[in-house]
Amino acid sequence: MARLLTDPREMPSGLRRAYLLVLAPPAFLAPLPLLWTGGASRAAIVIYEIILAFLWTRAREGRPVRMSNAMMNVAGIAYLAWLGVSSATLRPGLLPSVAHLLLFTGLAKLASLKRPSEARLALLVVFLLTLASASSSTHVSSVLYFAAAAWVGFRALARLAVLADFDDAPPERVLAAVPTRGMSAVAILSGTLCAVPLFVVLPRLHGPFALAPFRVEDAFGKALAADRVDLESFGAAKRSDRVILRLSSRPELARQSALRLREAVFTDYLDGVWTRDPRTSARRGERSTHFLSDRGSSEKTVATVSADLNVYGQGFLFLPYGTSAVRVERGRALELSDGVLQVASGRGPVHYEADVRREAPRGAGHGAISPADVPPEVELYARHLTAGLTDPRAIARRIEDHFAKDFVYTLDPPRAEGDPLVHFLLRSKAGHCEYFASAAAMMLASRGIPARLVTGSFGGEQGLFSSTIVVRAQNLHAWVEADLDGTGFQIFDPTPPGGLPEALRPYSLLSRLAALGREIEFFYDRRVLGFDSSDQAGAIESARESFSDAAAALSFLRRSAREALWPEAAAGALLALLLGALFARAFLRRRQALAPATRAYVALRRALTRRRGQIPPSTPPAEVARLFAEAVPEAREDAAAVVAVYCASAFGGIAPGPEAVRQLDARLRRLKKLA
Amino acid sequence: MTRLIPDWEIRITNFGLGYILMCLVVAISALNTGNNGLYLVLAGMLAAMIVSGVLSRRNVRGVACRIETVGEVVATRPAWLKVRLENRMKTATAQALFFLHESLPGPLWVDPLAPGEVRELVVEGRFSRRGVHRDADAGLLSRFPLGLFRKYRRATLAREVVVFPLPEASRVPDIPAEDARGGRPHPHSRGGGSDIRTLREFSPGDDPRDLHWKQSARMRRWIVREREAERDRAVFLAVENALPEPFDSASLERLERAIARAAGQALLLLSRGAEVGLHARGVKVAARGGRPQRVRILDALARLEAVPLASAPDFPAMRRGDVRWLVS
Repeated sequence: MARLLTDPREMPSGLRRAYLLVLAPPAFLAPLPLLWTGGASRAAIVIYEIILAFLWTRAREGRPVRMSNAMMNVAGIAYLAWLGVSSATLRPGLLPSVAHLLLFTGLAKLASLKRPSEARLALLVVFLLTLASASSSTHVSSVLYFAAAAWVGFRALARLAVLADFDDAPPERVLAAVPTRGMSAVAILSGTLCAVPLFVVLPRLHGPFALAPFRVEDAFGKALAADRVDLESFGAAKRSDRVILRLSSRPELARQSALRLREAVFTDYLDGVWTRDPRTSARRGERSTHFLSDRGSSEKTVATVSADLNVYGQGFLFLPYGTSAVRVERGRALELSDGVLQVASGRGPVHYEADVRREAPRGAGHGAISPADVPPEVELYARHLTAGLTDPRAIARRIEDHFAKDFVYTLDPPRAEGDPLVHFLLRSKAGHCEYFASAAAMMLASRGIPARLVTGSFGGEQGLFSSTIVVRAQNLHAWVEADLDGTGFQIFDPTPPGGLPEALRPYSLLSRLAALGREIEFFYDRRVLGFDSSDQAGAIESARESFSDAAAALSFLRRSAREALWPEAAAGALLALLLGALFARAFLRRRQALAPATRAYVALRRALTRRRGQIPPSTPPAEVARLFAEAVPEAREDAAAVVAVYCASAFGGIAPGPEAVRQLDARLRRLKKLA
Repeated sequence: MTRLIPDWEIRITNFGLGYILMCLVVAISALNTGNNGLYLVLAGMLAAMIVSGVLSRRNVRGVACRIETVGEVVATRPAWLKVRLENRMKTATAQALFFLHESLPGPLWVDPLAPGEVRELVVEGRFSRRGVHRDADAGLLSRFPLGLFRKYRRATLAREVVVFPLPEASRVPDIPAEDARGGRPHPHSRGGGSDIRTLREFSPGDDPRDLHWKQSARMRRWIVREREAERDRAVFLAVENALPEPFDSASLERLERAIARAAGQALLLLSRGAEVGLHARGVKVAARGGRPQRVRILDALARLEAVPLASAPDFPAMRRGDVRWLVS
């Protein structure tokens, strides 16, 4: 037994120290996320880190810990006993049990390194701990952990690769030199670039295992589903500042008209939920351009609006009033009978362009709220409010005034029992835009005026350096379209001015940073943690389409080039190229032909000419220097030096050395500045 | 005995095999669970393998290693080798390199080479056998960056290395005398022989016994006899390098022994001032004396190769008075 405990091939103390110093940083980092994910008991992780710090300190001091095999056996048996007891009584679950076992094994291995193979075993344990941490982390901050693990891991592996060829402790400089920081950075950057496509193409057989604790788009899904809008959820969605779309216009549209974007139209209401008319029929658009049915063509187009929409709901497009035609980058637009356009698309951004005509804003399509659908309480309220009025415009104005004076705009309306709209009108008198718009639409309908609820957006943020307008969730808005004078559905916005989203808000640095953080969080949740086979198919399809587009563009370019290259043009281009090359060559030769001193003297003469007018070519160099000193007394010394170097070079055959040429250039720069 | 110098250029390490195994484990776990965290780890591991391959290839191939010997090289004796390392990469530092040479007890660590850096090291090497080496039995080895692969790049020799045989001491018989004084006249150089070469005027240092009195009297100046030099009989050491085919190791061993003895005898004779030549099948080194002859003979012995007995040429012809000893 004693013979087994003493291994003649045990590594020297110096080598053990080197292994410990290399393995300690990744071992320290590996279990940290488990502190937050609950993958292991916090006390266990803290004890692990303290012991590891002790081992590392001892190694730094040149006294690496080497536990005897007997001690190891005792510790192992004690831990096994504890593991049995804790599993039977505390029932910590599988992941914590495995994590605790790994923590113990890692420490035991690091504290008793005898051979290089044991160092590799310790590395394996550290890797498994990293794996447990990575697989149980769902927060976006895991990205930082991955980055740190990659950095520390790369350094550790590179150093272990060096240690593998040493039988004894290497000199300090060996491990300090490997790897260089630049190499680590390049390796990690390249690794990340390779890992992204690999992550996308690795086959997925199951749905995502771990999801973000809160899927941000759920609120949008409810608010923007557009087939069904809940009065309660609209306020929650408006509190977010998630980017809905980015918009630009050529030429720039008048702000107010451009910034009210229409998305969906609602005519059916029941107990706080608006739903779209199921009878709305669809008209399938053309592949390239879809002309809206009641506007016909793109004639009289005054602007083209280009938008990138993050589709959260059913793919309804946000369009400005006056849109006559829409071009969707990928797929087709589907026009519904109430004038709303929908694209058949999955999640992800949709790019489209809309031609906008200058005309009075009128809601497209048909359909209005049926007076029969108006709740009796609302009808009664409307009748009281608009008693004596018959003109639809007067009725609308009365409603608008009433809301402005007697109601409060809030994103947190009091919770209602029963119909929230009735609660809003009769009791709370507080709500957000959708309450106001819903109530106004219902009251107008109850008075026999064709009206409907419209959701969309109002306002946006102006970019600091561009004219792009960013529309966020807080710009979501609801208003009414009502036929007030028989000219079609006009915009009627009953929301009090305090409740209107800002028409145009500049970016602030803070908001930009905050938005960036949220975008990253959203991206990680959606595109990394929630990445599934449909996303994978989408990504591969996008890549395929991109390749196909690129191939088409290349083929078009080749065709165009072939057509453009008729003999005369080719000959002309060749001649121009030849002349250009000859000119460049002559220019370069001329530049190279002049010695540095001569070049400087010529520049001096030129500067003098600019200062004093033409000087005769026969003026000797000394005279040039004198004249220059007369004209610019501060440059006397520099001019004299330039002339002296020139004379030495041109007449004495003494070429200036590299340092003298540098000084000459510096003097010349000074001279030009002074002249 | 394990050979230190590898005969491969790339080899996966045990750690690399373990890494691939872990990749498989993570891949299976990711597939079965659908955990995107594991997919991230797997993608990172695969990417690391690709990057590791590219970096290690660049790291080793970007460095040129040239070896040059300093002075004479004798088999099994320490020899100085000048190793010139040049990092030909313009941007990357070559790192984690080990220099391997059969004569070194183990890999020799090379400090990182900055981009474009040229470094010269002098190491003590030892060539195991005599002969001409046109390939260096040395190179650069690296496991950089992650230790998944070992990559080796053979060093080049600046010029061929001729490894002289290690002279073996053996008894040398006396050279048989040809004339009374034990030597023979050398018509081309003056010396202290018995034959008169010419008469000339006396110059300081001449032996007064060589004065030619009659001629001195006639010319009224001191005239001396200049005598011809005498030398020992020229000895040719012969090595039988024709062996019956196929060459068996015992015959080759005997040949090597004979070569080592011939080298020893040649050095001994030369040190005594004798003129020594070398004869072998297809090889002839003319008999001369002095230090240059020592190098000529050792060089010829270093390059001597066994030839099949059936097709072996004859030994070179002898001149009258020369002596040939067969060394065995």
